[in-house]
Amino acid sequence: MELQKYYYDNKIVKCFILATIIWGVVGVLVGLIAALQLAWPMFNFDTEFLTFGRVRPVHTNAIIFAFVGNAIFAGVYYSMQKLLKTRMFSDVLSKINFWGWQLIIVAAAVTLLSGISTGKEYAELEWWIDIMIAVVWVVFGWNMIGTMIVRREKHIYAAIWWYVATFIGVAVLHVVNSFELPVTFLKSYSLYAGAQDAVVQWWYGHNAVAFFLTTPFLGLMYYYLPKAAGRPIYSYKLSIIHFWALIFIYMWAGPHHLLYQALPDWAQALGVTFSIMLLAPSWGGMINGLLTLRGAWDRVRDSATLKFMVVAVTAYGMSTFEGPMMSLKNVNMISHFSDWTIAHVHIGGMGWNGGLTFGMLYFMIPRLWKTKLFSEKLANTHFWLATLGMLIYAIPLYWAAITQWLMWREYSPEGYLAYPNFLSTVTQILPMYMFRSLGGLLFLIGFLLMVYNLYKTMAAGTFTNEEEAQAPVLDNSQSRKDARETQHRWIERKPVWFSIAAFIALAIGGAVEIIPMVFVKSNVPTISTVTPYTPLELEGRDIYVSEGCYTCHSQMVRPFRWETDRYGEYSKIGEFVYDHPFQWGSRRTGPDLARTGVVGGPMYKNAAWHYKHFENAQSVSDGTIMPNYPWFAEQTVNTEVTPAKIRAMQTLGVPYPEGYDTKAVADLMAQGQTIADELKQNNIDVVPNAKVVAVIAYLHKLGRDISKKE
Amino acid sequence: MTNDQNHIQDEYFHDENLDKKLMDHDYDGIKELDNPAPAWIMAIFYITIFFSVMYGAYYFWFSQGPTQDQEYLAEVNEYNTKFGQKENNAPEALTILTNEADIAEGMAFYQANCVACHGANGEGGVGSNLTDANWIHGCDIASVAKIVKDGGPNGMMSYKQHGDKKIQQVASYVLTKLKGTNKPGKELQGEACQ
Repeated sequence: MELQKYYYDNKIVKCFILATIIWGVVGVLVGLIAALQLAWPMFNFDTEFLTFGRVRPVHTNAIIFAFVGNAIFAGVYYSMQKLLKTRMFSDVLSKINFWGWQLIIVAAAVTLLSGISTGKEYAELEWWIDIMIAVVWVVFGWNMIGTMIVRREKHIYAAIWWYVATFIGVAVLHVVNSFELPVTFLKSYSLYAGAQDAVVQWWYGHNAVAFFLTTPFLGLMYYYLPKAAGRPIYSYKLSIIHFWALIFIYMWAGPHHLLYQALPDWAQALGVTFSIMLLAPSWGGMINGLLTLRGAWDRVRDSATLKFMVVAVTAYGMSTFEGPMMSLKNVNMISHFSDWTIAHVHIGGMGWNGGLTFGMLYFMIPRLWKTKLFSEKLANTHFWLATLGMLIYAIPLYWAAITQWLMWREYSPEGYLAYPNFLSTVTQILPMYMFRSLGGLLFLIGFLLMVYNLYKTMAAGTFTNEEEAQAPVLDNSQSRKDARETQHRWIERKPVWFSIAAFIALAIGGAVEIIPMVFVKSNVPTISTVTPYTPLELEGRDIYVSEGCYTCHSQMVRPFRWETDRYGEYSKIGEFVYDHPFQWGSRRTGPDLARTGVVGGPMYKNAAWHYKHFENAQSVSDGTIMPNYPWFAEQTVNTEVTPAKIRAMQTLGVPYPEGYDTKAVADLMAQGQTIADELKQNNIDVVPNAKVVAVIAYLHKLGRDISKKE
Repeated sequence: MTNDQNHIQDEYFHDENLDKKLMDHDYDGIKELDNPAPAWIMAIFYITIFFSVMYGAYYFWFSQGPTQDQEYLAEVNEYNTKFGQKENNAPEALTILTNEADIAEGMAFYQANCVACHGANGEGGVGSNLTDANWIHGCDIASVAKIVKDGGPNGMMSYKQHGDKKIQQVASYVLTKLKGTNKPGKELQGEACQ
């Protein structure tokens, strides 16, 4: 058959590799800063741009979308061309993919540090960045599907199934979760409210883990692990079963982030059961990976690439066992709101995503630069530092989680909470936070060793932008299924049909959960005493969102006696109907704030207390790790935008009277004045539209309505 | 393909015993075996599906499992059986404790929980002055204990969870050691009280 000559585009792979390395260092460094801030609050540096609430989203976004994102692109662009025996479909699309993605990352870092955030975890970016992400992601998918169409290999290999699922899954998740109403260039409100927003957000949040951190990496594993080991994939059949089972089941599991919270029991049960059913499909990947290494274990000992891959697959197996267990309600009761989840995601992040990325880089770079790795010994040191760093990071956090949970729920013999001061349960685990910082530091040092090693490798080699290759023309003329061909073998040579089938498998779970929550009224029973936020409270809430207060404070009292004694009445679905977005939080580094407006309740503090606490938290709560917010008193709310915010809320269905936008600012100033007067009695001078006044008004709203008699 | 000397050639390591079921698949040198999925993983898969069906049946079809609201009620009942109602120590029946051990306990409680608002010596700040003659919520032991226990609209938080004994101790400490010392600080608030 006639051989065709073509060229692999190595340059685009090189670009993504460099971006992976650079953003990886940034992401890990920012993570280390966040870890230090929790152990020693002085690392907040008393500047608004570096408070934990802003730094933490930068860390998560940098790791997930910048480091892992670029690693996915690097790995996909490299392997896809070789697996399909063709150049990428379009150089222009490749370039848009690369530069667009880097632009998004820079925009994300700048906006998040400036306090521009939508307040939805792992989806904090504002509306115009969301649009950029959607566009660049579609470009990536277009380029990928185009490449499959111009391929010279008859069948599409398993790695690419996962790439396709990744493209479709992330596209669907990102678009549905990002529906938001822009108010200004820098501010938007989520279209969904309260419990509905929570369901959509955690459907997204959980599946961002699935389709950004899991499926693409399984695809990468299916290429790089057998390549590096020189061994065949253990079971083609297992590849098929666990692929379809995993992408179908994963999409249902999101509500396991909302167990014992203000969500209908049926939705919680779906979250529990589908998470349990995820165990075997997830482990399918681990098994196929580890069994592929049969006959190659002697080589694992000598190769840092393979060692990293083994740790990656093992960490993946651990996390995907732990995940379903954490979805059981009686385990989730402990793991939710504690450091357990933080430890869990770092096993996945450092071990699985980190490990596979490192393995992949050690594999690709010597091949692309046509030289040997500069130092196998240094790579080995990196391996041990990364593995040890991961353990020293995670183990103290598991310890902290159990300790703190036991303290939260312990009663004295007289029937009172044994640790009524929340702070004492935090200071108890601070030593664990110090150890976790050390784990992060080791991981970073290992990372830097890799950077040096790879730099020396690149410097010693020669890079070919256009790598020549040859392959026969593809004869795919027979469209119908051959009698001897299995159904799956047929669809493996029909990329468009394959993509459609994957889309259907993916879409079902989300639709079944989200559509009833948004459209069936009985799922959100209303409470008549719950009123919309006043303009001042709304502005206060926006500050709460923009500062990332939800990174440490929950607003969700669960129905446990030890929570209702500590905070007050447990949270109801109907309380949150005006919350765009919801702010239930996922980790209680500080106490829950859902009941801070209940006068005489255990969480109520007066305006002067809040003022002093924001000014200098340590002066009011000795030993607290809360950052200081002295600029809250100096900065004022931008009341020019307030009317537009009211109108936006009206559009979203919040029942302000018609024409209220024209009166909103006067109401805001009047309410602000009463708080300013109260502060004046304590010799505190503050203007009525100061940020601190708005935040206090918001905190005094939380839980107030539900404590009123109907 | 260039013939650079340093170019790494990816090798495929064939193994007679392990590769008996080799398929004709070859993707950039990656081969696949025709092994079935291990039986034990398929067993786990079917067991988890069975578990899920039973879970749904238990909670929804047969309504055997409690909803989370019912679970909470059960927990509260269990608590009440174990510890009884907490209201038996009626504030009216309280007396001022005078023995040194109780006052010392009260002082320790004050230092840990009250100084942030009422000042190290009771002179007030965010909270009222506890050393002067005027009191907002009354100055008898029952009134002071009540405001500490239940909190108040001015911003006094509830210390119910610290237990009646501690509350009585700190109220006694405030009334015997701080009241009447007339420290300069927060201005007079509330009504004169003996």
